[in-house]
Amino acid sequence: MDPEKVTQTSDQTISNDDDKQQENSDPLPLKDETETNPSPTADEAKSAEAEIVEELPTEDGVIKTTGDDDGAKTDDIQQDGEEAKVEDPSPLPPDLGKVSEEIDQFISDSSNLKGDDHEFKPPDVPVFVEQFAVLVEAKIEDYEGGDAPIKWSQLPQEEATSFLDIVDRISKLLTSLSQFSSEYKYAYSISRVDGVLQRAMSYIEEEYKSILYEYKINPDSDINNSDTPSAKPNKEADNSSSSDTNQDAEQDSVPESKPPEENKFPGYSEEIVTTLNKFSKALIAGGYESECCQVYFFARRKALEESLHKLGFEKYSIDDVQKMNWDLLEGEVTGWIVAFRHCTNVLFSNESKLANAVFADQPSIADTIFSNLSRGMMMQLFNFAEAVSMTKRAAEKLFKFLDIYETLCDFLLLADKIFPASCADELKAEATLTRSRLGESMVSIFSELENSIQADSNKTPVPGGAVHPLTRYIMNYLKYVAEYRDTLEQVFKEHQMIERADSTTGSDFDCQNPQGAQNNHQTSSNKLSPFETHMIKVMDLLDANLEGKSRLYKDTSLSSIFMMNNGRYILQKIKGSPEINSLMGDQWYRKRSSDLRQYHKTYQRETWGKLLQCLNHEGLNVHGKVNKPILKERFKSFNALFDEIHKTQSGWVISDEQLQSELRVSISNMVIPAYRSFLGRFSQTFTPGRQTEKYVKFQPEEIETYIDELFDGNTTPWGKKKL
Amino acid sequence: MPMADNQGSFLNRISIRRNQVTTMENNHEQDLEDLDLFNKHVAERFSDLLPNDSSATTDSPAKDESPLFSISWYRRLLDVFLCCEAEFKALVLIDRDPVQFSKPPLDRLVPDILDRSIKSLDICNAVTHGLELVRHWQQLAQIAVTALEQRPMGDGQVRRAKKALNTLLTSMMLDDKENNYHAKVAERTWSFGRRSGAAGNNNNKDRTNGTFRSMSWSVAKSWSASKQIQAMASNLVAPRGGEPTGLALPIYAMGSSFVFVMWALVAAIPCQERTGLLTHFPMPRNLNWGQSLIALQDKVGEEWKKKEKKGTTGLLDELQKMEKVAQNLVDFAENFQFPAEEEKQEEVAGLVAEMAEICGKMEEGLVPLQQQIREVFHRIVRSRAEVLDVLDQVGRMSTPVPY
Repeated sequence: MDPEKVTQTSDQTISNDDDKQQENSDPLPLKDETETNPSPTADEAKSAEAEIVEELPTEDGVIKTTGDDDGAKTDDIQQDGEEAKVEDPSPLPPDLGKVSEEIDQFISDSSNLKGDDHEFKPPDVPVFVEQFAVLVEAKIEDYEGGDAPIKWSQLPQEEATSFLDIVDRISKLLTSLSQFSSEYKYAYSISRVDGVLQRAMSYIEEEYKSILYEYKINPDSDINNSDTPSAKPNKEADNSSSSDTNQDAEQDSVPESKPPEENKFPGYSEEIVTTLNKFSKALIAGGYESECCQVYFFARRKALEESLHKLGFEKYSIDDVQKMNWDLLEGEVTGWIVAFRHCTNVLFSNESKLANAVFADQPSIADTIFSNLSRGMMMQLFNFAEAVSMTKRAAEKLFKFLDIYETLCDFLLLADKIFPASCADELKAEATLTRSRLGESMVSIFSELENSIQADSNKTPVPGGAVHPLTRYIMNYLKYVAEYRDTLEQVFKEHQMIERADSTTGSDFDCQNPQGAQNNHQTSSNKLSPFETHMIKVMDLLDANLEGKSRLYKDTSLSSIFMMNNGRYILQKIKGSPEINSLMGDQWYRKRSSDLRQYHKTYQRETWGKLLQCLNHEGLNVHGKVNKPILKERFKSFNALFDEIHKTQSGWVISDEQLQSELRVSISNMVIPAYRSFLGRFSQTFTPGRQTEKYVKFQPEEIETYIDELFDGNTTPWGKKKL
Repeated sequence: MPMADNQGSFLNRISIRRNQVTTMENNHEQDLEDLDLFNKHVAERFSDLLPNDSSATTDSPAKDESPLFSISWYRRLLDVFLCCEAEFKALVLIDRDPVQFSKPPLDRLVPDILDRSIKSLDICNAVTHGLELVRHWQQLAQIAVTALEQRPMGDGQVRRAKKALNTLLTSMMLDDKENNYHAKVAERTWSFGRRSGAAGNNNNKDRTNGTFRSMSWSVAKSWSASKQIQAMASNLVAPRGGEPTGLALPIYAMGSSFVFVMWALVAAIPCQERTGLLTHFPMPRNLNWGQSLIALQDKVGEEWKKKEKKGTTGLLDELQKMEKVAQNLVDFAENFQFPAEEEKQEEVAGLVAEMAEICGKMEEGLVPLQQQIREVFHRIVRSRAEVLDVLDQVGRMSTPVPY
């Protein structure tokens, strides 16, 4: 080393006088090349190489080649081998182990040299570099084995490890040699070693690829993980703990520090992942990062697409989604939600883990690849949601829209934990957009509902005054709606904000408006939320519509029955759903109950009031004597009226049992005592036998029985009983 | 963004003017004026995209930097589209009585607009996927550039470049063939009922060139860009002589712009199923904007026919160049011997520099282009929703409660 250091210093002084822009060139070589090749920088390496062809054979046996065996790849080894024999007396190239030691020494020496200055005079390329190249090339030739390459998995463990060591050594050797790339006498060796490295890289790349593509997809077990409710919080908690550290410390030890079952990688055994990591390392160290990333990206993309497909997510064009009928699409939405949740809860965190393990030493590569992979998948998933949100708006779609909306809301909370920052931001922006479109559709569905309740003008009265299908539909609808209360509150609030923003036309007013809006909000916040307002509006519209429909009945009593039926149904539904109940409030409920009582009273008055007039004692006693003809009239009209009522009203319907019995009891309480006392007072006026039978048609007990037959919806009255 | 400013001021102007004018008659005159203005703007904007005659005044320096079908030219095309679309929306939606939408000719035309919007969205998606593929081609080309820039130029790097370029060329070819390929496989399977032969073949290809296969699975499996374009073009009908309102004409203009822009994108960028892509569709010669579009259409159509003959990947200028340079570089690599002859090496350095420049343009332009396509996507969705809102106002009374 000493002599070289001397030359080095002398070089320095000389090159100071020399032109400075080519500082790593022209190290004042020993021989006569100075004149012919004053500055073999990259640009002029050609001329240097041209020179080499002529001059090198005379060099001291290290760089020994001529032009003829450079291109002839198949002959390379043999010829090189022969030439090595010529130059080196030993019949065979020395043992690889020994050469490797020499190479390692060379690498470490030259890295020491490198530190000080670029302009020292490099040593000649030692003979073992060529020997090493020959040996390694032979090895790769073996592996590539013509038509049937040896699979990595077929290599014995030791062999595999030593091969990776060798590849590492070539990479380092090339780096060492490349320090002197401007040195003409290095050109051949650099090319030679680079060529061997390329073959090694190519072999590894192919193996890397074939291992990567041998993934297994087993979504079943994964789905179970994600769908059991107990697993979900675990996953999330887990995600947070890993990604919090993700930002700085990254994955030095992330996979290892997990509990054992969390170590599972998607599609590969742990052993394979270790191999993949080694390959990535080797490829990146050899400068083949781009190739490595592309292979990895495409393999994993394919795997992810397959997983998604296996999860039941089918790709549809937006056009197809518009044309699909809702029954079918509804099923697809359900599948989408499962797939989406599985992706965000399981698939991507595993994928991220895999990327972090395979590129353990290059966290930024892992992040980039993972981002690109997941971004593509997520965009596909969003696209479906978007397509669904664009379909024709219809009331029955509201709940699936809500499900998608909620899925997206959950995603927005999770995104930062799953994805690297910039990717997360992009995806959150997309999710927010899609979500707000769904929101708009839902607001529109809701107002459509309000409008169509208002417009529902079906002129056919429901037979028997029963619960109208509109009432059933709306109440069941609202029951589900109320279950999504929190989400819908959010939807309507967001919509209100957009509306406000839209209503400000000029951009000039933009700065002032937010304050105004806030004030508005504060004053109105004491009142009802937009969702509550809408719910109450729907109820009021329904009421108004029902009142209109009740007027379709010619019989006021039947109108009342209809209103009671529907009112009762509404109250029952509300009672049965704590969500609507709390939404509508006690006051509203009490008001409704009293409305109902009002209808009840109207009904009693209308139907039974008239009947009771027949039992009025007034006018029957004339001068202390019973006026028999009038009494006969009274009994006759009572009997006729009651017959009539029984006939009609047993055809009416009260489906709510409680209401039915309440009503019967109240009728009985009203009619029977009056009838009993009327009978008690006047029945003896008639002569027993035929006359009594003729006028006293009903015993009080019979009246009671007949009252109990009312509101049965029985269209053939007196079915079993009538004489 | 100057584009956004434009739009804003335009909207303001329209609404302010409309607000000032109250009587129906004046309103009608105003309408006609606005319609004329719109037609004129569409014509001007599209004719701006035509390549300059050398004699013409160079009004914007940007023009010279965006040769026909280059990435930057396509970005300008999309800008034009977005401007026209904004103006169109203002014209059709702002301060207009919704009732018009339920009467002829709008009742008939609006569903077509909505349908075209939907189809355009799928095309935006397919093109975005195509650009994704182009970005991977760019990476492959970049590998070759980096390898061939190494000095000394040795076997290893040349082989490395060759490998990357071969993958690139095969992928380009495969992508192009893919279009025919699926159809043929489907055909064979259908006519002979033999799945196995075709599938085996498929697998073989998969094995050798598998890396890029999954790229084409971008929209739905049976989705075809050329069919969608055809469907969009087929419901473009020129308004008949006595159409009652002037709105039919701008709708026709916008519809034609839609079809043209989507068609031009599909022709340029690798895209699912492009076989049988139209080379021409009817445009009105008697209208200003029609002439601008016809001139552009001729350019695209011509180039597409050439493309079909040569079997290249698409009209995108950078892609065409990339393919050619890649081919030349592969030829060089195949005959390469170390050490390289000086002359050869200089020649290759030229090619490499050209490739580097192409990569540079892609690096610079692809992501913005992709973002712009996304912007177009969102804009179309937005406008469609606004049209639906108007229809809602009209159609409100007619939707029954589904009990």
